[in-house]
Amino acid sequence: MFEHILSVMIFLPLLVGVALLILPVSKNGVRILGLAVAVVVLVCGLKVYADYSGGGGLEFVEKLNWIEGLGISYHVGVDGISLFVLMAAAVLFPMVFMLFTAKSKAYYCNLLIALGAMVGAIAAADLVVFYIFWEIMLLPIFFIIGLYGGENRIAATIKITIYTIAGSLCMLAALVYVAVAHHTQTGVWSFEIARMASLELQGGFAVAAFVGMMLAFGIKIPLFPLHTWLPEAYTEAPYSTTFILSAIMAKIGVYGVIRLVVPVFEVEMARYAIILAYCGVIGLMYCGIAAIAQKDFKRMLAFSSASHMGIIALGIFCMNVQALTGTLFQIVAHATSTGILFLFLGILEERTETRHIDDLGGVAYKAPVFATFFAIAMLASCGLPGTSGFIGEFLIILGAVKFNMVIAVLAGTSVVIGVCYMLWLFQRVFFEEANSKTANFKDLSAYETLVFLPVIILILVMGIYPQPFIAKIEPAAQKHILQMATQDNPQLAERLDESGLLKLTND
Amino acid sequence: MTDLLLLLPVLIITSGAILLMLLAAFENVRDEIACFGAMVIFLFGFCMQLFGLGQGDARIFSGVFNEMLVGNSFTAVAGLIITACGFFTCLSSHTYFKQNRFITSEYYALTAFAASGMMLLTMAQELITAFISLEIMSLAIYVLVGMHRRNIKATEAVLKYLMLGAFAGGFFAMGSALMYGGTGSTKFAEIAGFISANGFFASSILVVGAFFILVALLFKIAAFPFHAWVVDVYDGAAMPVTGFMATALKTAVFAVFANFLILDGGLQASWVEYLFYIAVFTMFGGNLIAIGQNSLKRMLAASGIVHSGYLLIALVAFTSRDFTANVIVFYLAAYAVATMGMFAALSYLSGEDEQRITFDDFRGLAKVRPFSAAAISIFLLSMAGIPPTVGFMGKFYIIVNAINAGQVLLAVLAIVSSVISMWYYLRLIITMYFHEARDDFAVAKSPLAQATTFFLVFCVFALSLLPVSV
Repeated sequence: MFEHILSVMIFLPLLVGVALLILPVSKNGVRILGLAVAVVVLVCGLKVYADYSGGGGLEFVEKLNWIEGLGISYHVGVDGISLFVLMAAAVLFPMVFMLFTAKSKAYYCNLLIALGAMVGAIAAADLVVFYIFWEIMLLPIFFIIGLYGGENRIAATIKITIYTIAGSLCMLAALVYVAVAHHTQTGVWSFEIARMASLELQGGFAVAAFVGMMLAFGIKIPLFPLHTWLPEAYTEAPYSTTFILSAIMAKIGVYGVIRLVVPVFEVEMARYAIILAYCGVIGLMYCGIAAIAQKDFKRMLAFSSASHMGIIALGIFCMNVQALTGTLFQIVAHATSTGILFLFLGILEERTETRHIDDLGGVAYKAPVFATFFAIAMLASCGLPGTSGFIGEFLIILGAVKFNMVIAVLAGTSVVIGVCYMLWLFQRVFFEEANSKTANFKDLSAYETLVFLPVIILILVMGIYPQPFIAKIEPAAQKHILQMATQDNPQLAERLDESGLLKLTND
Repeated sequence: MTDLLLLLPVLIITSGAILLMLLAAFENVRDEIACFGAMVIFLFGFCMQLFGLGQGDARIFSGVFNEMLVGNSFTAVAGLIITACGFFTCLSSHTYFKQNRFITSEYYALTAFAASGMMLLTMAQELITAFISLEIMSLAIYVLVGMHRRNIKATEAVLKYLMLGAFAGGFFAMGSALMYGGTGSTKFAEIAGFISANGFFASSILVVGAFFILVALLFKIAAFPFHAWVVDVYDGAAMPVTGFMATALKTAVFAVFANFLILDGGLQASWVEYLFYIAVFTMFGGNLIAIGQNSLKRMLAASGIVHSGYLLIALVAFTSRDFTANVIVFYLAAYAVATMGMFAALSYLSGEDEQRITFDDFRGLAKVRPFSAAAISIFLLSMAGIPPTVGFMGKFYIIVNAINAGQVLLAVLAIVSSVISMWYYLRLIITMYFHEARDDFAVAKSPLAQATTFFLVFCVFALSLLPVSV
């Protein structure tokens, strides 16, 4: 089983999800089985994390020839870049089965299919395999929002689907272009992701392919100005799905940029990084300001999540080791803070039956445990020192300083916006007078406390003692940057300083 | 022996058709028996075609037929698609005619005749053979389209199709004559040889002849600007007949088109510039028509035009003989599986006298018949080219082939067209899933169309794993 551990993590949820859709199993039965599958994936994920040696290359590799004529194979593996995204998915997923009850069993089946597809996209080492799982990822989300969403669910589901599919199809053309370029340059057909890094792409088509790929990932992240689908989709989706969208799927967009775009299009990336970095910063500010204005707390958090994704994206475009390490760290930190907040708000709405911020008040006096947990996750989301959010954002801004001072200053100051709306939300919901809606607010039950406790501990541990995590990330980030810079790219290699860091400042 | 094996499927289907026609003369032969007879014939033909698959390249009985027919893996796979489509059409017809009572026993004989014409067409290596097989196919299809004589829409459909089809046939005959006048031969290979020796524009008669033949073929595949008939004709014909036309007929005509243009003929380079525009206009014209439709049949007809556009891309973007041929035939199979599945599903879901045919009629289908709705969704996703379906692999190969041939723009336009087409495919899924049901979706007792639908769902996934050789 251990030599096929990734395949188990991919196909067990997929197959169980489809089988449960067909078989006549009760809703609770499906929920328990779904939880069992998610726990199996979690155990496999922990095993992968424990056994990961950190050598730099792909580990746990499985390869099975599929379309030999075109060099396409079922090829999966994990390296330092994908490990943390994989862990975020595996660790957080069981929570969605534990917390909310769904309207029908199909909801849980769709979640399982989404889990399998996400693990598949993260572990894929072949372009076609990646693309297939990337697209499958969307289908359950389409059905979940359409079937179980709020009032405007159909508009929201059409919007997210058309946006994402348009992006994906652009990516399809781009990745076929890359593979064909590989064939023309080497004479060998291959769709292996690692091989594409050695390509020398030039000319208008290369830029077009770069744009095509960035569109697909930019929509998924979402990067300003491609974020317009997000408020509707995040608001209309059920809380546990918004949680998955924000905590895991958005991260796969970031991961896709790091894995596919940066190594393959290193020249284009170096040329356009500044524009993309500005997109990230503008997204950070714009969505932050939009969040302040929201009256609906789910919509506010949706904007907040998009705002923080801006800074994560910024970390990639700085293209140095600190920023990349920060981005990978922040992927987990954002998932455990902003992602978890969606679950807390789900509980809040379930108990007060409103999403209107001004209708609430005094929750902290009624539910101290809930308020404490919420506060910790919230402060981590704001990037308070001592929490996981601080380490990630600090590293990213550190990297940004090396990249471009203006951007670093803008990013550094914009983080304050996040503090504004979060603290204001906290004040209006948790302090002030309790009213009729919150008078009978029940605190977290022992069961719920147990579900959330590991994540809260993780936030604090990652914030106070981040060294073990960074030790796993940094070598991979360093290798990624070095490989990108030195491999057949003299322009970038010249800018390397003695410590192996890139100097891309204003020249 | 090889020659016989390669020819055997056509012989089986043709003699089966004659046998069915004779049987239909007896009054006490029930339609059901004719239906099962046709199924057996198609299945037998399919199995024989499978044996012929590995037999390699051969000019069938070149002494007797004077190199009129060819058998190779391309024609064999096309033959497999056609026989399979024939088989599934019989299955869905069985259910369909439980709810729509206008069948006569000749129906199945005509289906078999049409199939035999199609199979011959895929093998044709010269113009007169192609013309004859085209007419065998078309005449049978005309009758099938107008089978429901008392229905005004069917009458309209057959009239339109017959008139325009006759013109197309005339164009083809005239084109063949001019081609012969220009090159001194009707054989694809010799025409190709003449063109490569003297250049395409050496003889003006040749150019006009080729133009006429292209017009006829473009008409048959419903490419721009000869696509207008297809929506009305598909709409008027009975569900299984529409399915048969959309899949088997398109396969056959595309096979001869590919043979004539690139595989055995040498016209491709001279026409590529024009076909480029035709492909683009076909994709976008089809999309424009499909977006406005409220009837599923009309939407599927228009989406068939779009798929013709994708196939034309493969004809324009010629890389290597084997790869392009494989890409075309794979896409045809992918399209056939999904379209056949759609029409099989509609054959039983449309109910008595095709009462449910608009988008709105399928409101809330997922609540009442979850499996049927899931099957339809899978077919639609396959047509839209979403993984992990066979439709995605087909589109993927088309794009690889196009970019590999340097037609990047065409690949990008195909992708833009796919994004547009998401609208009408998603629309049906949304109608089926996200609205409440108003109908009880009562269907006929015969389970054959259901069985076909679910078998084809399996095929959508199974075929996607099938690797294509380069």
